[in-house]
Amino acid sequence: MKKINLIFLIIALSAVALTAKRNQVTIAGSTTVLPIAQAGAEAYMDKYPTVNVSVRGGGSGVGIAALQNGTAQIAMSSRPMKSKEISACKSKGINPTAYVIANDGIAFITHKSNRLKNISLAQVRDIYIGKITNWNQLGGTNLPIVIISRDVASGTFEVFNDKVLKGAKVSGSAQMLASNNAIMTTVTTTPGAIGYVGLGYVSDAINIVPVDNVRPTEATVKNGSYPVSRKLYMYTNGKASGESARFLSFMQGAEGQAIVKNQGFITLD
Amino acid sequence: MTTGKWLLAMIVTLMVAFPVLNTAQETRVGGELWNRWTYEIGKSAVDSSNVLRNNYFALERGYLDIRTKFSEGTSTRFTVDMFSTDMAGFSDGAGLKLKYGFVDFNDITPIPDLTITAGLQKVFFGTIYDWNYTLIGKSPVGEYKISSSADFGLTANGFLPDGWGEYAFGIYNGEGYKVFRRNLKDNTDFAYLANLRLTPIAGITVGGSYMYNTVEREKKLTDNSINDKYQQQNLMAGVARFAFGPLDLWAEFLSKDVKHHTNHSIKDYTATGFMIMPIVSLYKLVGTDIQVIGRYDRWDQTDNAADKYLRTDLIGGVNYTFVHDASANPRMQLQLNFTNRTYDEDKSAASYANQMKDVKQVMLQLKYRFSATIK
Repeated sequence: MKKINLIFLIIALSAVALTAKRNQVTIAGSTTVLPIAQAGAEAYMDKYPTVNVSVRGGGSGVGIAALQNGTAQIAMSSRPMKSKEISACKSKGINPTAYVIANDGIAFITHKSNRLKNISLAQVRDIYIGKITNWNQLGGTNLPIVIISRDVASGTFEVFNDKVLKGAKVSGSAQMLASNNAIMTTVTTTPGAIGYVGLGYVSDAINIVPVDNVRPTEATVKNGSYPVSRKLYMYTNGKASGESARFLSFMQGAEGQAIVKNQGFITLD
Repeated sequence: MTTGKWLLAMIVTLMVAFPVLNTAQETRVGGELWNRWTYEIGKSAVDSSNVLRNNYFALERGYLDIRTKFSEGTSTRFTVDMFSTDMAGFSDGAGLKLKYGFVDFNDITPIPDLTITAGLQKVFFGTIYDWNYTLIGKSPVGEYKISSSADFGLTANGFLPDGWGEYAFGIYNGEGYKVFRRNLKDNTDFAYLANLRLTPIAGITVGGSYMYNTVEREKKLTDNSINDKYQQQNLMAGVARFAFGPLDLWAEFLSKDVKHHTNHSIKDYTATGFMIMPIVSLYKLVGTDIQVIGRYDRWDQTDNAADKYLRTDLIGGVNYTFVHDASANPRMQLQLNFTNRTYDEDKSAASYANQMKDVKQVMLQLKYRFSATIK
């Protein structure tokens, strides 16, 4: 009788463990997508209390590698996956499948005291490669420009590099920071600074500079007139299934898109 | 290498490295160290039973790796290997080798995802260029001396769109990174390489490599006699990988076709071999990163009159990874391997008879990696 009880106990515990694992969604990757995923996870767990969604940052590359190594079910990325990453995933039996969850514009920001009204993409490039070094070269005050950039491993930097730098080297004097928050803090407290962040991070504490007379807004990102825009992704191994599919469906649906909007990013519709 | 030479090597390295690092956009320093215990038994000439042949500790690899990114289009890698060794010529019991020293140019052609690599770099042949040392031993390409893992050269290497695979074309010096001093020839005959790997479906990878190489440049020596060491080598590798769930199965077929000078007394030969290596991850079963690995190798060099043998290796191993990085890549790993190497007495030369070169070997290795972005 004792043996039978023990067997039942083992089966019951195994079933609980299996169910717990089924109700677990692990997400890792882009720090840009992170606030959307965190807010989304909280709302999702409120709605489905038996589900546990864990979210961590690290950067787009880290999330993609975690998907590849099987330690994350969903990888967040602020850029499309590279051929090299897709190839590495596929050779390990992982078939990365993209889900777009939001749109975003990369906003160029300066200190609140800087009254720069407009900048061209070519001027942004010249600042970041060290050709333009003082705000007076752009009609501003005589103040050296402090270049603030994301580190080269970030997805945001890769989009910035692709659309603005076009492969040119960032000036050696640039401060390369590891997160959108770090950029915001530094630009807010440095009068001569220029930086760039995802739209979800901008606030009234800084000055947003229109690019070629186009301000990054929901309308200009959606209609494509703002030149430095992008899509934000979540990747799964093959077509999402189970709890991951339900979570992604939630993020792409009305409730998830409301979260996207609340976080300052641009919705899919 | 003497202490003075070590010191000089380090000073020169730092003198070169500092100005380079200062101009870089991003600099990453990393390393990998392998502490290994090896225990080996086999038969000696006077014994009929197995005796202890080797029992020693060694730092088999001590890679120090500096990667710099000057722009999105240009990056470099500089890797030195500092190791302890019992090999002749290393009076301090230690050695230093430059493993990699190359520049990657990513955007000098309009072809997407194509990199032009110049300098001392990987040889994109068979499994040797992405051999991950899941087992402690070398890849079959390295083990059977088909090709060196690194060499001076110029390659075009890249990835096909949508994860379809990868390719490489290259011209190499042809001698490998370990050849030095008087062993160096005068470098006029290059090695030519082509490599293609395709992943048509997630989990299934097939590919092949071809390399034409020569050993020694001249067919004849200065006194007009035949150069016995001259060889033309046609080298081929076929690779297959099947990765589904916890199983990752690697297979490799190798062929080495050697031609001597037409008047050379030793006949030309072709050696062939294959490897099958299943890796099973127990992570999902036990919740700990443990891998169980098997490997079966067969190398047939019976056509080579100068060194005739048929060798079979059976290897079993367990990996326990107990420290990972943020992406779950191994940082600290304990590896245990057992190898049983036998030579077929009927098909091998007399020197392989009576199991004189058969080996049973146990290796225990603590491997750890580190990396940090310093700028």
